[in-house]
Amino acid sequence: MIGAVGLVLSAAGVFLSPDKHGPVMAYLVAVTYWTAIAIGMLMMVFIHHITDSSWSVVIRRQWEHGVAAFKWLALLFLPLLVLAWVKPGFTWPWMDLNHALHGHGTVGTDILYQKKAGFLNLGMFTGMTVAFFAIWVWLSARIRRASFNQDVDGSVAWTLKNRVNAAMGLPLGALTLTFAAIYWVKSLEYHWFSTMYGVWFFANCIRGALCSTVVIMVWLYRRGDLNGILNKNHFHSIGQLMLAFTVFWAYVTFSQYFLIWNANVPEETFWYNLRELNHDGSTNQWWYVGLVILFGHFVVPFCALLSYRFKVTHHIIRRIAFWILTVILIDLCYNILPALKDEHGDSLPFLSINLLWVITSVIGVGGVCIWAYLRSLPTTKLIPIRDPRIGECLTHHE
Amino acid sequence: MAAPSYGLIATFDTTPALYHAAEKVRDAGYKNWDCITPFPVHGLDKAMGLGRSRVPRISLAGGIIGFLTGMSMIWWTGAYDYRLTVGGKPLFSPMFAFPVSYELTILFTAFATIGGMFIVNGLPMHYHPVLKYDQIRRGMDDTFFIVIEARDPRFNLANTKALLEQAGGREIKELEA
Repeated sequence: MIGAVGLVLSAAGVFLSPDKHGPVMAYLVAVTYWTAIAIGMLMMVFIHHITDSSWSVVIRRQWEHGVAAFKWLALLFLPLLVLAWVKPGFTWPWMDLNHALHGHGTVGTDILYQKKAGFLNLGMFTGMTVAFFAIWVWLSARIRRASFNQDVDGSVAWTLKNRVNAAMGLPLGALTLTFAAIYWVKSLEYHWFSTMYGVWFFANCIRGALCSTVVIMVWLYRRGDLNGILNKNHFHSIGQLMLAFTVFWAYVTFSQYFLIWNANVPEETFWYNLRELNHDGSTNQWWYVGLVILFGHFVVPFCALLSYRFKVTHHIIRRIAFWILTVILIDLCYNILPALKDEHGDSLPFLSINLLWVITSVIGVGGVCIWAYLRSLPTTKLIPIRDPRIGECLTHHE
Repeated sequence: MAAPSYGLIATFDTTPALYHAAEKVRDAGYKNWDCITPFPVHGLDKAMGLGRSRVPRISLAGGIIGFLTGMSMIWWTGAYDYRLTVGGKPLFSPMFAFPVSYELTILFTAFATIGGMFIVNGLPMHYHPVLKYDQIRRGMDDTFFIVIEARDPRFNLANTKALLEQAGGREIKELEA
């Protein structure tokens, strides 16, 4: 319901806004954001099975419900795909060979595009995007089916089956999420390249999934569903993972920045210059957004998550989770929105009407995802009661 | 008390017996006492009323020292003691000092954690009075013990003995210091 309202508002944004690029980019941010969380949940299920974990059995069920959102996300991505065919180059400039580059020629005459044309073309983009969603929907259907069937017959075979799914799903998931990040986000500036990009996206996926999980855990605990099932140590464990992936994200993101800063090659530095300076050398808003990301995405959560008490106190860990979820969104904005430029080639500022469209789109797409989760939630047992490791999970200790 | 003794030791045959006895000793307010078990008993820390380890604080201190060491070392060598421009970069920037600082943070945290663990546990400890007890090796096999030290402010030979008896302990012996 809320999702529908958000989507309507976003659609209205597209029609009302004089510059239609803004709302479309904002929509891309929102779809990427929620897809990232769903991918993170899918990867967490795989990691759970491949490591044969016991502590996360109860929580795994929530991830299985979360990945129900993939088919709706595919549907929500469709408008972007249609737009890419109807108006090539509108969202991703390289799709239009006649797109004028700032200062020199067009995309078609650009040697940097010509060399990448085998990868960056509309057919490949469409095929790959369809394949990403097909693979995610297929993988999540497989793990859901096996897990839900186990509730009925209690056979260990389903666990073994999911272990195979995980072994297959991890590399497939890693490849698809990397290429998705490259096609959807990185190719907005197709001149730029970073081998860290897929890893950066993965870090955000997992962090988003862990934080949404904490929100779900506290919600179900307070509602009474998981009261008496989850203990302190479950929160401690997931808090430790949040801390670990905070460090991981920082490591990857810093490495990307540091290598580009150190090499100081114009082909790479322009990407960060766009996010720091205007053409006349003055600092733009993205510089401050970058600082918000540095402190908000790493320093603050890192220091907060060091504390044991913070990790096991429900309202505090939930607050940290909401905080990180917000900063992930800002991180995606930082990576996507500066592709919107004014007539000087400067990035449009962060604080603009586009931020409103980001919020409406996030509510819209998020509403649909949450609805998909809530629709799946009552269809199964609350916890996988016949999982062979459920006993170990319920008595999870340090 | 006649001869100075280290404390009292009581024997228990099963984990639940030890667990519930530990709860009783905890509730009686004793602080200087310990359980000896052949294997880790989950939840025993709670039954003994132990708080969380103090080692993480030492680790944090180690980490901060490591980070500051890295930063100041790079600054001192490159921007102060022997000013050297490398690759057109500034004499000092937290950017290129970060990898080193980060490595040293991890290294010093690890040292502090291991060192802190030794200090907090009172290690290395080559001798402990319970080793004089002839049955103590069964504590590595199939028997559980509770030791209450005489230096505990609540220790009183008769009362403590009664408490251990009431908690289900058998063969309550006084340990030589």
